[in-house]
Order: sequence, then structure tokens, then C-alpha cells
Amino acid sequence: MFGWTGKLLHVDLTSGTCERREIPTEILHAYLGGRGLGVRLMREYFRLDPFDPQMPLIFAVGPLCGTNSPTAARLACVSRSPLTGTIYDCSAGGRFAWRLKAAGLDAVFITGKSVKPSVLSIDGDRAEIVAAGELWGKGVRETVAALKERGSVTAIGPAGENGVLFANIMMGEGNSIGRGGLGAVMGAKLLKAITVQGEGTTGTADRERFDAARADVMRLFRASPVIFGELGIAEYGTPALVDLMAQRRMAPTENFKSTFFAQSANYSGPAIRKECGARKEGCYGCPIQCKKASAKGEPLPEYETVNHFGALNGISDLHAIVKANTLCNELGLDTISAAATLSAFGEARGRFPDPAEVDRLLSDIAFRRGDGELLSLGSRRAAESLGKAGLSMSVKSLELPAYDPRGAYGMALAYVTSNRGGCHLRAYPISHEILRKPVPTDRFSFSGKARIIKIAEDVNAAVDSLVACKFAFFGATLEEYGELLSAVTGVEYGPEQLKEIGERIYLTERFYNCANGFSMKDDLLPERFYTEPGSAGEGIEIPPLDRGRFQEELQKYYRIRGLTPDGTFADASFLQKLP
Amino acid sequence: MKDQIEKYIGKLLADRSAAPGAIAIAAQDDVLIASGNPELAKLAGNTLSRLNSLALVVARPSLPFAEFLIKRAGKGESFILPQDTETRTFLHDIPFLRREEVSGDAAPELARLLGSRKGVIVEGVGIVAVGAITVEQAFINYSSVFHSTFVKYLQDLLSEGFKLPGEREAFESFKNEWLRPLSAEGLHFRDSLSLNKEEILDEIERVGRYTVERGLVDSFFGNISAQAGELIYISQTAASLDELRGCIDPVPADNSSTTGITASSELLAHRKIFEETGARVILHGHPKFAVIMSMLCDRKKECAIKDCWKECPHVRDLGGTPVVAGEIGAGGLAKRVPPVIGASGSAIVYGHGVFTLGRTGFAEAFKSMVDVENFCREEYFRQLETKA
Ligand code: SF4
Ligand SMILES: [Zn+2]
Ligand SMILES: [Zn+2]
Repeated sequence: MFGWTGKLLHVDLTSGTCERREIPTEILHAYLGGRGLGVRLMREYFRLDPFDPQMPLIFAVGPLCGTNSPTAARLACVSRSPLTGTIYDCSAGGRFAWRLKAAGLDAVFITGKSVKPSVLSIDGDRAEIVAAGELWGKGVRETVAALKERGSVTAIGPAGENGVLFANIMMGEGNSIGRGGLGAVMGAKLLKAITVQGEGTTGTADRERFDAARADVMRLFRASPVIFGELGIAEYGTPALVDLMAQRRMAPTENFKSTFFAQSANYSGPAIRKECGARKEGCYGCPIQCKKASAKGEPLPEYETVNHFGALNGISDLHAIVKANTLCNELGLDTISAAATLSAFGEARGRFPDPAEVDRLLSDIAFRRGDGELLSLGSRRAAESLGKAGLSMSVKSLELPAYDPRGAYGMALAYVTSNRGGCHLRAYPISHEILRKPVPTDRFSFSGKARIIKIAEDVNAAVDSLVACKFAFFGATLEEYGELLSAVTGVEYGPEQLKEIGERIYLTERFYNCANGFSMKDDLLPERFYTEPGSAGEGIEIPPLDRGRFQEELQKYYRIRGLTPDGTFADASFLQKLP
Repeated sequence: MKDQIEKYIGKLLADRSAAPGAIAIAAQDDVLIASGNPELAKLAGNTLSRLNSLALVVARPSLPFAEFLIKRAGKGESFILPQDTETRTFLHDIPFLRREEVSGDAAPELARLLGSRKGVIVEGVGIVAVGAITVEQAFINYSSVFHSTFVKYLQDLLSEGFKLPGEREAFESFKNEWLRPLSAEGLHFRDSLSLNKEEILDEIERVGRYTVERGLVDSFFGNISAQAGELIYISQTAASLDELRGCIDPVPADNSSTTGITASSELLAHRKIFEETGARVILHGHPKFAVIMSMLCDRKKECAIKDCWKECPHVRDLGGTPVVAGEIGAGGLAKRVPPVIGASGSAIVYGHGVFTLGRTGFAEAFKSMVDVENFCREEYFRQLETKA
């Protein structure tokens, strides 16, 4: 077999055992790897409580990992989110994925709960569970440094240990497995970190075909202004979006009360470059290198993070924002949810936090003390217990990122149809509504968006299963990635087949969610967006969303997906028909 | 979606790439709609319903070049491989189905091919192109296939001559009837562009429309810019040249803002051309004869370079216009065009298209592009005649 290793490491922390098992080839062919494989492996477990010891935490790489397919040294982490209650996956880069593949594994499946804090250490064919000792309680940086002899590290910080519902799992290189609180799932297992090293290589079935496909991808990267353009993400990282979102009047400000922040230029891409001496960094082997680090090597914040610690909390000081980002990384907190939760809290009490208070509250959240105890539950639960439920700007309890839904109607729809809650990366309509790739669509129109969102969700489910980076698709398409995949594995995959796989994955996730009680009532945006306008300017009006039109398009979406008008499945045996 | 279908049927007629009466477009939202020629609409609908995509164009091209390419292809071949940049970058290759392969319902086989390509050619039917997320995208893919097959057929003709019965006659009618004289006569341009934003936007928009109306270029793939003090106004990526309203980005010349992340991928080339030449405006498009002629090189036989389109270090010449190699965007085009464009006010990029300058306004740039294309057109016919 080319591409895949066909092996999974089954770890039972309760019994302390690690065992290599085969993954059936048909499952790999039908779900690829990454998100798809992880979601498939959750079939027997999705009903468990996220903190149930038997709840699996799955790390899965893809068939392209270990080859020099552009942006493919990534993995997906899959489990059930304690924040949203949905099935949850997150894609992350860093060296870890590539090392995992080099250890001969397509996935690590971790279940059970350790009696003492522990570390899972994988070294080629060997895997063992060792005591975490005094690492428990330590920050991410120190943990990674202490374990680096053992290879690549992924670890949780105090937030994960203490069960913060939006705790991240951090990759040693500064990337994160973010948003849904999988760090808390890992913490509940008393698993502090995983280390991995390996020497294996990933074979390629057809080298010549692979090289041609890779050249096609690289040519498209060079032709994409968003990727390699002089103002693009390779130069400025995702904060390249700061100026654009300000100009488009869709930068969420003061808990989404407005959509323009006059001081946003303080933390724009060019400002960060100038003030922090940003240099290029990125996921292992990625030619784009969209991540940025300061001259001292400190990872610099992404667009969503600068906006949310910036505009969303009314903070204009770049250095304060960078510091908040660093603190989140160190504590193992998700930056978007953390900042959005602070913002909701700020609006609820009538005062947004200043930079010093942000720092203090972030620590309090990670250690669950003072106000941090409440805020550690995320904005939805916090706002509800403050009696101001409407102030949580979230969907299915996942805080909305930095794209105001009133400024892009596909994004509005995509937030509610996302299987993991308010996330911009599932259908990712920003790609065409704002960045004009692959072709532009009218951001102030719902026309055709139901179908577009559905198709994009399928495409991206495939991308997350390959596992490639979404940013690659500002240039390349599944046409070229299908070629890479066929060349690597020797199994033919075209874009339509990949979309079919994506659809299977998407529907499986939705099925799990529906089985856990989700339906149309959860596919909802916060009330504010239907009743309050955003900030007008530069000839752009940002009216509230038309609720009737929104609902109509959502119903269309359900029809296109083959769901009932309530957004659920008519066929209870749906899963049994899938591979 | 109906309005979109109408719009793009209209565009296919206006740009004369598809034969009147032989156009159909299908689109699916929660329901499937198909409109145009009933037989083709049926095929379009049946094919699209098998695809996880939004729109599909089926149309008979107004020229039989794609058909001829199929007939000229060797036995056992199943795709053509045009050498122009558009194909290389966005289409890769263009699969085709011969008449005998489509007895009965062609939809399943078409859907299979479109499962991995943006457009295919079906003998006796025409060009079928799919749009993953918009009707416009299907139109763009149709036009790209039309453009690529046009370029490849004329290229092949120049190297191999006429081979099939009817070919020469079809070509004569293309030359004498389909092609229209290109000129800048009767168009109105501002002589010297002011620094006024509205005026600049208005002028860029108008020039864009002219280039398409005059049949100089296809409506997408191309870009236009004007320099105004600290700003460069440039058309956005994936914008149609004849619909630039609201699609022009003001980009600070010093990169102090990144709003221009949506600007054309040739922003860097434009910026450097302005720096190098002091020009006021730049026009870039893909006129077909210039694309064809740019790929002719008499050194091909002895030259060691195989990736001429990006690696060729020579500056060749077409009627006084320099021809250079270079890739789109962050490729070499931005390096190779700026040094050579100043002298003649125009430059051709291998297999790709033409850049022209205006020192005060668009009149000069437009006229230069017309001149370049007219020269290449004449030169093409001259060479073909000499061969025949
Ligand atoms: S583009 Fe950025 S996030 Fe994506 S793989 Fe490359 S470095 Fe990582
Ligand atoms: Zn071009
Ligand atoms: Zn040469």
C-alpha cells in the first residue's frame, strides 16, 4: 500500500496498554484519513459524554503526509467537544503529523483515563505511557522543552488540565488544535502530552505523475494573489485580512455591536511586520509559510486573534494583543473563544477589559479562579448565568470568529450549518465572498448560497481528510490535489469522488449531532444579527440580516442535503449504509 | 439563478464564442433548471444532476476548431494538450469524446469526465464546461476551452497545414467572415487622466468594456491599472474586464495597507512597470493571435530549454514588440516584462498575452494592443500562406 500505513495505535490509558492495529483498507479508501478517518472511528462512541473516560481522542494524518505534497504535513484531531457537544475535529500543522506518519501510523486512538498524569511517548514501533511527573501544572513552553528529546511534542497547558471548555491542545511549534476544547478532553484523561519520533518514509506510487501534479499546484499558488501575492498571506500572514475586513465593514467590534474599528490599522499585516519584525514561519514543509514569528521567535497572532483581542474588546495596542496571544498559547487556551468570551463578559457588565485585565482574566480562566471560573465555560454558559444570554455571539456555543455574518451572507449560513458550531473554516465562503477565489460571489446575496455552502462543506471535509491546508485552495483545487492523491496512493481519485467522500463525512457528522439531539433549533445565529445593523462606511451599508430570507435559504440547504425540514435524518439506519 | 443563466447566454452570444441557437445552461439550487436549446438543455441538466457542482454550459462553438482538433488527434488519444498559459495553469488538458463514444445518453460519460476536469469537448455536440459554485464559473471555463482550442488549432495549422476535407473552407470563412477588423476608431478616451478617483475608476471601467466589445480579448483573464500619486488603481483578481464596476482596488504604492490582497495577481508586474517606465496606465489582456505568435520560436530545434513559457531567457521580437517568457503572479513575468516594455510601450508574454502602456491615458495603451494584435494576425496569415 502506498500513501497510507494502514496502522493505528490503540492506546488505553486505563489499562496502560498500547497496541498497533490494522485499519481496514476500504475504510481508508472511503474516508482518506484525518478528519474523515477520525469521524468514522467515532461511530461507536459519539454518544458518550466528552469527559467520559471511554471517549476517544483521535489524532489522524492523511495519505499525503510524509510526501512533499504542498501543505499536507497536517493532522486532524477528532473527538466530541465539551464546549459544543458536537462531534469535533480540528486540523493542525507542525512537525508532529509528519513524525507520526514516520512512526508508521495513520492514526492514534486514545481512550480511557490514566490514574496519574502521564505522557504518551511514541518512538518508531515502540509506544509507552510514562508518568508526567512534575510536568502537570506546567505551561506549554516548559512542557515542550522538557520533552523535546523524545521528538515532536503536542501538549496541553493548565487550561486543559483544569477542564476549561475551550482549552486547546498545543503543538510544540506553536500551532494549535483549537476551538472546541479538545485540550480539556485530553486533560480529563490525565494525558499531559504526546511525543513522537519515527524514521519511516511514505512511498509514492507514481513519482512522475506526482511531480507533475506538484508543479501544477505550485503554479496555481504563484498565480494566487492571496497566497503568494505581494500583499498575500505568505508575506503578511492571515493579518493581511485586517485591512480588507475593515474596508469591507465586517470586522467584528465590541462584541459585534459594530463592524468597524477605527484603530485596526495598529494591528494590520504591515503594522505587525514593522512593529514586531515579523519573519516567515509555518507548518512543516509548507511552501506558503503563512505563520509569522517575532524576531525573538515568539509566534505572532493570526487574523482572528488580533481582531478579537483588538476590535472585539476595543483594544488598539498591538503589543497587548501579541501578549494576550502568547499567554493563550502558554496556558493552552483558544484565542478566539477566550477573547470572545471576555468580550461578551465585557458587554454584560458594561465595560470591556483593558489589556492588564485581559492578562489577569486569561490566567484566571486557565486556573478557574475568580471570574475565571465562570468564563472558563465559554461565552454561552457565562452569558446565560449572567442573565444576558443574547450577548453570547456563538453558534452551538462556539464563539464566532472575526467575519461578521451581516457582511457576507454565505458566511452567515455557513456558521449555522457548520457541524462544529460557529466556525469559519467549514464552508469557508470568505474565499469567494471576500477573496474572490475561485470566482467571486455577491456577498450581499443569498442567491445560490445554499448549494454553494453545501458543495464547499463537502470539498473542505475532503481537504481536512487529505489532510491539506485550506489556504492551499485559494490557488489550487481538488483537481490538482486529486492528482497528487492518485499519484501517491495509486488509487484513482478525481474531484467528484473527493466531494463524494466529503459529503459522506459531513453527513456522518451531522448524523452524530442529530442523534445527540441537535436539529434546526440549533442552527441559529445570535439575535443581534437579525435586528441590529453593522457599521456603514465607504459607501457600504451593513443592514441586519433578513430573517425570512435566511430561513428560506436554510430550508433550501436542508433539501439539498436530503434532510427533513427540521434539519434531521428521515432514515435512522443512515450510518449502516455507509462503509 | 434564471437571471444568471440569461446573462451568460447573452455573453456567449455577444462575444461570438458560441453558435446562436446552440447554447444551453443548467444550474441547480434546490431544484435543477436548464434553459436554452432544448436538446442541449436536456443534456446539460442530465449531466449536471450527476455532479456536485452548481452550473454547466453546453454549447456549440461558433468555430469548428475544437471539432477539427478531435479529428486530427491520433487514434487512441483522448485529450488535447494546448500549450497556452490558460490551459497550462487552469485546465491542464482538455479531454474529448468522439462521436462514436457517445451513442445514446452522453450524460453519464460526460459526468465522469467532468468529475476531474473543468471542460470537455464532445464531437458533434460542442464544448461542455462546469462551474463548481457559480454560473459565471461555467461560462469562464467554457471560454477558456474555446480560447485554448482556438489557439491550439491555429498553432497546429501553422506547423502541420490543412489535413481534413472541409478544413480549408472552414478556415477561409473564419478568416473572411468570423474575424472582424480590430481598431480603436471611434472610441473615446480621456487624453490625460487626472488624479481624481471617480474619473480614474470610470475610465478603467470604460476601457475594460471597450476591450471586450471590440473583440480584442475575452472578458476575464486580463487586468487594467492606473497610477495616481501614492496609489495604484488596479482591477481585482477574477474580475471580468467588461464588468469592472466595484472591482477596482486602490493599492497604496508603499504597501502600507493590504486591502489590495484581492487585486489582480499581476499587481507586482504593474507596480514594477510603473516604477520602470513612469507610465500612467497599463492594459493587459490575452488577444489570441498574439498568444499564438508568441509561441513560435525558430530556435526550438536546437534550444536546450524545454519549459520555454517560463524559462526562455531570450527576448524575441514581433513587429517591434518584445516577447518574453514568464509565469503568472509570483512567477517570472513581473521580472521580465518591466525592463523591456518601456521602449515600445508594449510587450508580449510567451503563450499568455499582451501588456501595453499609456503615458498619459488609455488611448495609447488601447491602440498599442490593437496594433500588436493586428500585426500578429497579419503575420499569422502571411506565414500560413507561405507554408501552404
Ligand atoms: S499555509 Fe500556513 S497554515 Fe497552511 S500549511 Fe502552510 S504554513 Fe501551515
Ligand atoms: Zn494574463
Ligand atoms: Zn527558446
